[in-house]
Amino acid sequence: MLFSGIPFLFYFLPAVLILYFLVPSKLKNSVLLLCSLVFYAWGEPNYVLLMLVSILLYYSLGLGIGRTRFRCTFLTLSVIVGIGMLAIFKYADFFISSVNELTGTALPLLKLALPIGISFYTFQCMSYTIDVYRGHTAPQKNLIDFGTYVALFPQLIAGPIVRYVDVAQELRQRENRWSNIVEGLPRFLVGLGKKVLLANQFGLLTELFRSTSQPSVLFYWMYAIAFTLHIYFDFSGYSDMAIGLGRIFGFHFPENFDYPYLSGSITEFWRRWHMTLGGWFRDYVYIPLGGSRVSRGRWVINILIVWMLTGLWHGAAWNFVLWGLLYAAMLLLEKSIPGLKKLPGILRHGYVLLVTVLGFVLFNATDLTQAADDFAGLFGLSSLPAVTAETWYYLRSYAPLFVMGIIGATPVLKLLRQKLYAYPLGQKCLAVAEPAAMAVLLLICTAYLVDGSFNPFLYFRF
Amino acid sequence: MDNKCIRSILTVCVALLWAGLAFFAWIKTPEPSSDAERRTLAQMPAFSSENVLSGTFMTQFEEYTTDQFPFRQRFRQLKAEFHYNVLSQRDNNGIYLVDGIAAKLEYPLNDASVEHVLSVMNGVYDRYLAGSDCQVYQAVIPDKGYYLASENVYPAMDYTALMARMEQGLPWAVSIDLTDCLSAEDYYRTDTHWRQERLLSAAQRLCAAMEAVEPLPDDYTPTALDVPFYGVYYGQAAIPMEPETIYLMQSELLADCTVYNYETQQTANVYDMAKRSSKDLYDVYLSGASALLQIDNPNAATDRELVVFRDSFASSITPLLVQGYKTVTLVDLRYMTSSMLEQFIVFDDQDVLLLYSTLVLNNSNSLKG
Repeated sequence: MLFSGIPFLFYFLPAVLILYFLVPSKLKNSVLLLCSLVFYAWGEPNYVLLMLVSILLYYSLGLGIGRTRFRCTFLTLSVIVGIGMLAIFKYADFFISSVNELTGTALPLLKLALPIGISFYTFQCMSYTIDVYRGHTAPQKNLIDFGTYVALFPQLIAGPIVRYVDVAQELRQRENRWSNIVEGLPRFLVGLGKKVLLANQFGLLTELFRSTSQPSVLFYWMYAIAFTLHIYFDFSGYSDMAIGLGRIFGFHFPENFDYPYLSGSITEFWRRWHMTLGGWFRDYVYIPLGGSRVSRGRWVINILIVWMLTGLWHGAAWNFVLWGLLYAAMLLLEKSIPGLKKLPGILRHGYVLLVTVLGFVLFNATDLTQAADDFAGLFGLSSLPAVTAETWYYLRSYAPLFVMGIIGATPVLKLLRQKLYAYPLGQKCLAVAEPAAMAVLLLICTAYLVDGSFNPFLYFRF
Repeated sequence: MDNKCIRSILTVCVALLWAGLAFFAWIKTPEPSSDAERRTLAQMPAFSSENVLSGTFMTQFEEYTTDQFPFRQRFRQLKAEFHYNVLSQRDNNGIYLVDGIAAKLEYPLNDASVEHVLSVMNGVYDRYLAGSDCQVYQAVIPDKGYYLASENVYPAMDYTALMARMEQGLPWAVSIDLTDCLSAEDYYRTDTHWRQERLLSAAQRLCAAMEAVEPLPDDYTPTALDVPFYGVYYGQAAIPMEPETIYLMQSELLADCTVYNYETQQTANVYDMAKRSSKDLYDVYLSGASALLQIDNPNAATDRELVVFRDSFASSITPLLVQGYKTVTLVDLRYMTSSMLEQFIVFDDQDVLLLYSTLVLNNSNSLKG
């Protein structure tokens, strides 16, 4: 079930909210857990059992780490189980096919369907046991509360990756006020608007590009930029919706995006892009490997490991590995050439955007052959015309959307709001205009969804 | 009242709007079909463990909730307005508007589809026409895009290549060019089809090529149907458009003609007034889609016969070709295979006209060999 779908928006969510606000506080987590399992079963009826087993297992492992002498064993077991689950369900076929290609063998593929959100909830489970082991938090004794943490539907399938320590207090006790809706609803609707009105439209253009019979160099660049905007609005839109939903239920989820396309360096980009994933790899992989407080050679290896894993986290294919390694290379380059920081801002931003756009071309390719074709197309190496009539058409048709997307990827509207908020009249206007805009956004997004518009789900491979 | 209070009250109003829509969605009685979209709407799927475990229930429920959403048509209009006017997109669901005329983006040229048509037509020729005394003609009916797309910078199929390929691929047929007999105004604004009352030039061109009696304006009285016509693009574009009027080119000769439908084994008039209540008013021409029809013209001054291999565009132009023939047989190979034809037609010395629109030529997978 997608947040940006009629069944969720007008059937599931209203039913959950009614149930949630009607039951007494002590039953609220039970309601959330039950509804989250229904939400998961809607998309993965067969894998809901895997989710339940994960909850039971990590609940027990957490208790084991917190209470027994074998805490190290239990921690090791929890990491092995987490990585094992990912290895079996997400990476097995990738490794088998890679071995087959390398050695000429014909080992059979497992062909298991990828459980939706497995990368998110497995990482959350592992962070829980590691944090319990490190003494950052006490183990959760209440199975319902722990299950709610793992399965909580607002962040279950597309993040942000919420660490247990961030919500431990709120799992136990949180304010369930009607005013939570007043705070969470606008954030949810902003996310819905990003997803439906921007991400889906850019996604449609990328689909049109893939089906064109008249490719051109300009169309390749339009595709690359459209996908860069598509993935940003899709992912940050989902994060906004998750954060807004969390707020409605009384949780404070961490932010996941902070205008990444404004970055002046790749290092900064990854501090602004998918922040919870970057933080997870930093705290649970990079620092345990020694971080930067090791020899230079070891540090380079640490960087390569972390970014290769980051790439693999996004999908089980070589283009994701290369995408991760591209960022490793860029980060190493930035550390090695301190002079890069002294370049004029426009050059630094341009360089980051170019790397990001080209990186996402690699990211979105179905395989390395398509990636190579895409790069050849982008740089005029495919004997394609610079522009075709079809390209002109889509450029004219999508130009306003590109402008909106580019403005939307910057904090222009946020700054404008702050400026207005500095004046009493501005505050009054915003108090009326923002809810009105929310109502319009709700109706327009509903209109797009009712029309059965393009509404893909990007996270199936995460 | 302070700003925080105003904001809270208004945000609660938004939540109530949302809840109201949800409530309507829950209690709304499902509708069987949509007139605007000319299709049946999804209904509540059956709930069973098998359906749920296979995920079928979820997929069908999603279709059901989308199809049956309250104020669906209003929401579709809102989306179309926003899409065209705010996002400034030049088409909505592949439909674009030029000066109030709706047309569909029809591109690129589907070579495989054209080859399929040629294969089917060559099969018909080899089986029935080669060695006969039949005179064979072929004409391509351009869709609206031919006149609208390039001029307004919309992508369009390569019409020149299509027509050249048809001519080259059917060397045994005399090609008739209709492109200069028509303009964008000769088509309904809200529909794919052409307007019968504006087809005299095209009909004259066909008759002249086939050396048949040409229709003249004085032969006909255009009569308006009293039912408004909403074409197929009206629903697809979802933009409020004025309904159109369908005119029937009436004549005494046509009034005496009868149309025999081989499928239903029933006889009707050239203009089937019973179809005035049809969802597609264009069906008044020869009763709409049908595999095999025969028009008998008792007042014909000749014994000549015409066989038309056709799509729906022929329904409205064929009545204008009738006066030069004793019988006109219309074959729609989308609804019957060509191998069945020998049961109904003996190809001897008829005129044979292959009359297909570019829309069918470019999407010919329904054409049976």
